[in-house]
Amino acid sequence: MKRSKLLILGVCMVFVLSLLAACSQDNTKNNASGASSEPSETQQATGTESQSAKEVKITFFNTSAEINTVFENLFKVYKEEHPNVTVELIPTPIGGAQIEKFQSLLASGNPATVVNLDAGTIFQYKDKFLDLEPEKAKYEDLALTGAIDGALLDGKFIGVPYSAQGYGLLYNKRVVEEAIGGAFDPATIQTRSDLEALFKKIEATGKAPIMIHGADWSLGSHYQGLAYSLQSNDVETNRQFVEDVKNGTADLSTNQAFNGLMDTLDMLKKYNARKSDPLVADYNKDSADFAKGEAAFFFMGDWSWAVIGPLEGRDNEFGILPVPISDNAADYGNTQVAYTEPKLFAIDNSGSTPEQQEAAKTFIEWLITSEASQKAIIGESGLAMPYKNLKVESSNPMSSAIAKYVAEGKTVNIGVTNYFPADWWAKTGASMQKYLVDKLDRAGLTKEIQDYWKSTAGK
Amino acid sequence: MTNKKTIRNAGTFLLFGGPSVFAFFAVVLIPFLFGLYLTLTSWDVRVGDHTFLGFANYVEVFKDKVFFTQLWFTLKYVFFTVAIANIAAFFLAFALTSGFKGQQFLRTGFFTPNLIGGLVLGYLWQLLFSQVLPYVGEKYGWSLFETSWLTDTDKGFWALVIVSAWQFIGYLMIIYIAGFMSVRVDVLEAASIDGANGLTKIRKIILPLSAPAIVICIFISISRSFLTYDLNLALTKGGPFNSTELSSYHVVQKAFLSNEYGIGQSEAVVLFAVVAIIALTQAYFLKKLEVEE
Repeated sequence: MKRSKLLILGVCMVFVLSLLAACSQDNTKNNASGASSEPSETQQATGTESQSAKEVKITFFNTSAEINTVFENLFKVYKEEHPNVTVELIPTPIGGAQIEKFQSLLASGNPATVVNLDAGTIFQYKDKFLDLEPEKAKYEDLALTGAIDGALLDGKFIGVPYSAQGYGLLYNKRVVEEAIGGAFDPATIQTRSDLEALFKKIEATGKAPIMIHGADWSLGSHYQGLAYSLQSNDVETNRQFVEDVKNGTADLSTNQAFNGLMDTLDMLKKYNARKSDPLVADYNKDSADFAKGEAAFFFMGDWSWAVIGPLEGRDNEFGILPVPISDNAADYGNTQVAYTEPKLFAIDNSGSTPEQQEAAKTFIEWLITSEASQKAIIGESGLAMPYKNLKVESSNPMSSAIAKYVAEGKTVNIGVTNYFPADWWAKTGASMQKYLVDKLDRAGLTKEIQDYWKSTAGK
Repeated sequence: MTNKKTIRNAGTFLLFGGPSVFAFFAVVLIPFLFGLYLTLTSWDVRVGDHTFLGFANYVEVFKDKVFFTQLWFTLKYVFFTVAIANIAAFFLAFALTSGFKGQQFLRTGFFTPNLIGGLVLGYLWQLLFSQVLPYVGEKYGWSLFETSWLTDTDKGFWALVIVSAWQFIGYLMIIYIAGFMSVRVDVLEAASIDGANGLTKIRKIILPLSAPAIVICIFISISRSFLTYDLNLALTKGGPFNSTELSSYHVVQKAFLSNEYGIGQSEAVVLFAVVAIIALTQAYFLKKLEVEE
């Protein structure tokens, strides 16, 4: 009798313990890697010979979700070239819970070694990342002039830029040329009136002059973001301007750049292809209609090539114009396109071992300089890399058009938006949407945006 | 002997109940208690701070006007979703137990939406509302459908209600069918002999005798529709201009987008209390309607 009791009890104990053991297995592994970080530092100082033979596994957290598979294949190539380093991809879904996933990895003490994140997110978590100051000179040699400066966060180099994007008024060359009956020179459009005159010609041919994508990220982040970036061509001055708006010393309602930009939006609204229902905001449909010539212009950036490139029956030639903000051609912004390095590679400094960090540094350099990687990033993904002496040429006509502006130094640096709170685009984007459908007038819009800024003061 | 039995029972319980108890503790109870603790601190992923704040976060919740507008919006949403889903499911179940040909097939058909995840369902209906219906509306000149429902604040609300109800109906219908099956045929026959027609039979016999099913259905649909998140995300993303944000959506935005974890978590606790109070009181009162056969 007693024996059977013990037997049953034993079975139960084994069962429960095995459950607990299954859970604790991961913990011990983590502890081991955490604990090993200290001795290995001394190891590094005394000699690196034992290190090269050691297997290193690093993880790569990717928020450029549209190219998850491109990265995955690239990591296999890296493994072939560097057999002792394994790079594991942590993918995120497009438009899905990307930041939430990053936060939960960080909070559980299990952060990814390398991250590919928005510059603004990296800035918010800046204490968690490795300072890359020792690497800065090397990347400055490799990169286009100003590219590294553009990626600095509060003056510090913690993220390596790998792609550059520009946005503005993309145009479908065929539709524009059919409307004006000849070759189109983008340099002829330098003011808002120039643009409206062109729109009238396009409208006369029965095509919609412009497509405004009614999503909060396009209106809030990209369109409204211009207003702060156009204050001056210096990011620090623009940051100060936003601080002034927060504490009430600067007023958007009398601000020239802000009002100029919104005056242009009033004009664009009249010619909008989605005039009857501006907020539908189907990104694929809007891109396709533009690419097939239903609309001549599209307020968007070169990233839309990812959708437009593979389309059947699309037009082939596209270009870009800046968003004009006044009728004075010399005003800053009328001949400059918005340009940014939206995503940066950064290395974790909160839970990774020095071996992992070293491996990550080598890996990031390989991602920037190797032909295989450039083929994947430029060739397959259609992105532009802000570096010199690239071995691969871009197939994306939109980024080529932007590259011309970059080469002439005609860009608007929108780096100021990296320092904005994470909910800025969503909160003010809602106000921009109301303005787009005339639920708010200019005064109401200005008030809602300023109220938002005031609510963030001191945070 | 009894001692042995107790231990054996305990062993059997551990063997079969142990895993679920363990899972319940690991993924429900412990996170819930830890979450409660977090509402009392200034916790932030970025700095990993754990300073004790007391009830400061809850004070902030009551200052967050948007949260209460959205809680009211959620209450309206729950009311209409629960009402539409339950009435439709009740009559569907009634129709599908009358014994005509093909009712098995139809039952499966009505149940299917419940098997599709909220996200997929949301994208599916988004396409319907913003592409298909406007196309049809324009073609036949139906002004109701000419613009997308999802870009209008009022119609956006009804879009959410319709899709959620559509998702719940199949599930609730199955429970109602099970409830009707338990109504004994002889009771119904006796009622027929006494001269009761269809409607009287529903009102006097079927409704009271399937009260347990009604209680369960209303309870399930209330708690599920209060916590709708995925459908909200996929269908409207809270838009246009945050007018269709349900409470859970607002909580997630607050915590993960605005980085105000403590306040977001406190709002989740307030939401939990509201759901618990409403669901339990309705179950208490409806239970009184149950009758013995």
